[in-house]
Amino acid sequence: MISSIRIAARLAARNLRRRPGPALLLLLTLTIATGTLGLGLSVYGSADAAWDRAWKATDGFHVAFDVYHPPDEAGNDAFVRKMQRRARAIAGASGVVAVGGPWTHLYGSIDVAGGREDLTAEIRPPGRYPVDQPLVTSGRWLGSGDGVVLEGGLAATIGAGAGDTVTIQGEPFAVLGVATTVSRGRFPLSRPAQVWVTPQTADRMRDLGMTVEGFELQLRLRDPADASAFVEDHRPAFRSDPNSSAIAFLETWQERRADSHSDIDIVAGTLLAAGILLAILTIATAGVLVAGRMSERIRQVGTLKAVGVTPRQIVLALLLEYGAVAVVATAVGIGIGLLLAPEIANTSVTILGTPQPRLTWMQVAFVGGVALLVVLIGTLRPGFRGVRRSTLSSLASGVRPPRRPGRLSRLASGARLPIPAVLGLRSSWRRPGRLVTNAAGLTFGVAMVVVALALRDSLDLLNTQTAEAGHAASDAAVGALYDQIRAIVLGTALLLVMLGSINAFIVASFAARDGARSHAAIRALGGTPRQTVISLIVSQLGACALAVVLGIPLGLGLWRLMDGGDLPETGVSAVALLLVAVLVPVAFAAVVSVPARRLANRPIAPLLTYE
Amino acid sequence: MSAVIEARDLVKTFDADEAPVRAVDHVDLVLEEGETVSVMGPSGCGKSTLLHLLGGLERPDAGEVRLGDRRVDGLSETEWAVLRRRSIGFVFQAFNLVDELTAIENVELPALLLGVPRGRARRNALDLLERLRVAERAGHLPDRLSGGERQRVAVARALVNEPLVVMADEPTGNLDSRATGDILGLFAELRDARQTLLLVTHDARAASIADRLLTMRDGAVVGQTRLDTGTPIERVLAGLVDLGDTA
Repeated sequence: MISSIRIAARLAARNLRRRPGPALLLLLTLTIATGTLGLGLSVYGSADAAWDRAWKATDGFHVAFDVYHPPDEAGNDAFVRKMQRRARAIAGASGVVAVGGPWTHLYGSIDVAGGREDLTAEIRPPGRYPVDQPLVTSGRWLGSGDGVVLEGGLAATIGAGAGDTVTIQGEPFAVLGVATTVSRGRFPLSRPAQVWVTPQTADRMRDLGMTVEGFELQLRLRDPADASAFVEDHRPAFRSDPNSSAIAFLETWQERRADSHSDIDIVAGTLLAAGILLAILTIATAGVLVAGRMSERIRQVGTLKAVGVTPRQIVLALLLEYGAVAVVATAVGIGIGLLLAPEIANTSVTILGTPQPRLTWMQVAFVGGVALLVVLIGTLRPGFRGVRRSTLSSLASGVRPPRRPGRLSRLASGARLPIPAVLGLRSSWRRPGRLVTNAAGLTFGVAMVVVALALRDSLDLLNTQTAEAGHAASDAAVGALYDQIRAIVLGTALLLVMLGSINAFIVASFAARDGARSHAAIRALGGTPRQTVISLIVSQLGACALAVVLGIPLGLGLWRLMDGGDLPETGVSAVALLLVAVLVPVAFAAVVSVPARRLANRPIAPLLTYE
Repeated sequence: MSAVIEARDLVKTFDADEAPVRAVDHVDLVLEEGETVSVMGPSGCGKSTLLHLLGGLERPDAGEVRLGDRRVDGLSETEWAVLRRRSIGFVFQAFNLVDELTAIENVELPALLLGVPRGRARRNALDLLERLRVAERAGHLPDRLSGGERQRVAVARALVNEPLVVMADEPTGNLDSRATGDILGLFAELRDARQTLLLVTHDARAASIADRLLTMRDGAVVGQTRLDTGTPIERVLAGLVDLGDTA
């Protein structure tokens, strides 16, 4: 076994040194996938450390109990009173070591640039609290005198700080300070906006028409890890009443943390989905590359088998060769992910402080596992197919002989297509596996382009709609988040198209190599270099046509699945789809024309001589 | 008789690892209309390169090539391609049939490239395949044909546009002796029909069908003699130069 690995490793190293091009191409495509996955995973956990810091600094809650009810709605009073009694009871429950509140919440509105936002004013007596002591970042905490302390996200959105004035219920209120808490998500993605006020200021707010909307009780337990069990034990007593519009719920600190950075989670989720899609496409790249290398090295394989190297050692060498590429791609991809993650995380409006992108060993193993899986799936089939050939046939082998012309290419001959087109169609029939692999990759790319177009149209429509009353700033923040997602989807579409182009380039290069002698013969008979180029482009265009035919409906279908939520329903215009259907083949032809031109410029005499 | 091909002071050098190799060294050659000329010489003496230069598959570094009245050594790739359609038919040792096309499609291909209507091209191709006794294999792909059948198809393909000259590079080098006899019989028929032929070969039997024999060594033409005098080729070869491994 050891000697097998040693021989395989030596073969792999030699092949990598002798033909670094395909390995570099695989490294590039695989790194795009691992980089996107690494980025998504790094961004995914980047808000947790900052949240944990704020949670510790503010003596954050372990369990929160909240009751909300629409203002002035009859029938809720009895339920709210029952919940208040239960809140007092749970405060004395076993395992509770500190209690904050219950804090009464008033509902009103605050003026922000561009409109008005729903507002919660949490009433707190001046002083220190055993649970959830908001962390003052500027100015001071509540004390004597009238005024409000702004939640950090609200202060950032309206650009106000200590000493400024904000307009609540149409009246000016002095800003005493700005503070951060984990008991509420950051405005504007977390709504409503929040301020803290003293009972004295709350009285003034009541006079201005603000009404009680509920309360929150905050508990710290002996062990924060018990929060889930504590909530499960007490949940039955704190259920909402179906006969009341009031809502009551218990929540653990872990649940609140998970909900606190929705924008980062959405961005990270989109990046992860993109990474997986890219990884799937990279399987096609690996498959095409390995199949091409195998057909190129079939004689070498025959020679190796003739001198006693076993098929297992040959496949092992292939796996080691591309496994090494997967390891490098994982390292580079994770490096890229960690490097770019802070830039993306910093655009978040929900994060409590400085983001700390990081990857756990499990996440690194996941990225590496995906890279290895891609290589494994891409390598095994063509590898085994290559080594299954008999030694003699491998030694005697040239390129694979063509199949009998299919019905389509016979029809093409009958349809009096130009000769280069007929030859192209015949060539494409020669390697149907490559055609399908190529088409599969491009189909993903086209589908994502369609999704990106639909998303663009939908977001454009969203931007033209008037913000809902009381949601001015939060709608703008949601819009910014959607813009970010649109950029990721568009970027993914471009990467998929790029990967599709790389696949097309590789397949066309192998097709040029396989057909070099035939094309040289045609030129010796009077075929022009231009006809060679056209023939090779036509031989590859089938994959692109298939991708357009399948990719557009696939993209529209994906968009229908994704559609919903806050996005206005919209389709993709026929003009845009037509442009996709035209431009994708044009771009594809431009990519394929590179190896085609190279083939057309090759001197033909050496190709025609007998080896 | 007029010259179909004329080469003057033709030179071709290839880069090699140690030093440049002069494959064709100041060669002069005239091929008259209806004449069959064989070129013999040891491996690497430059005879295939000479054929490639005359057929526009390679470009000379110096010298002049004329096809009929036209100087052609400076033509572009595309101009050469168009010229070959009408004027030159190639037969190669490795057959070089287009793998994707059936035998009859291979034969009609030069005609279609020339712009001959499909129906006429197909009829001409079938006639030629019948003449060359391979019509029953017309619908087969090249990899389903024997070596002799492939070379017959290649000869048919070379003839389909009735070219000024047929250039054959080791046409029997890849065939067994029976197929070799068949193909040489075909070339003899072409010679008798006054088709202009340029034949590069190792094989004295193949060379013997020519009207004139050129011998090459180290890129240069070192001798020539007429073969239509009835003298056995072995005696001709012995009297010319030491041809090394060709004899």
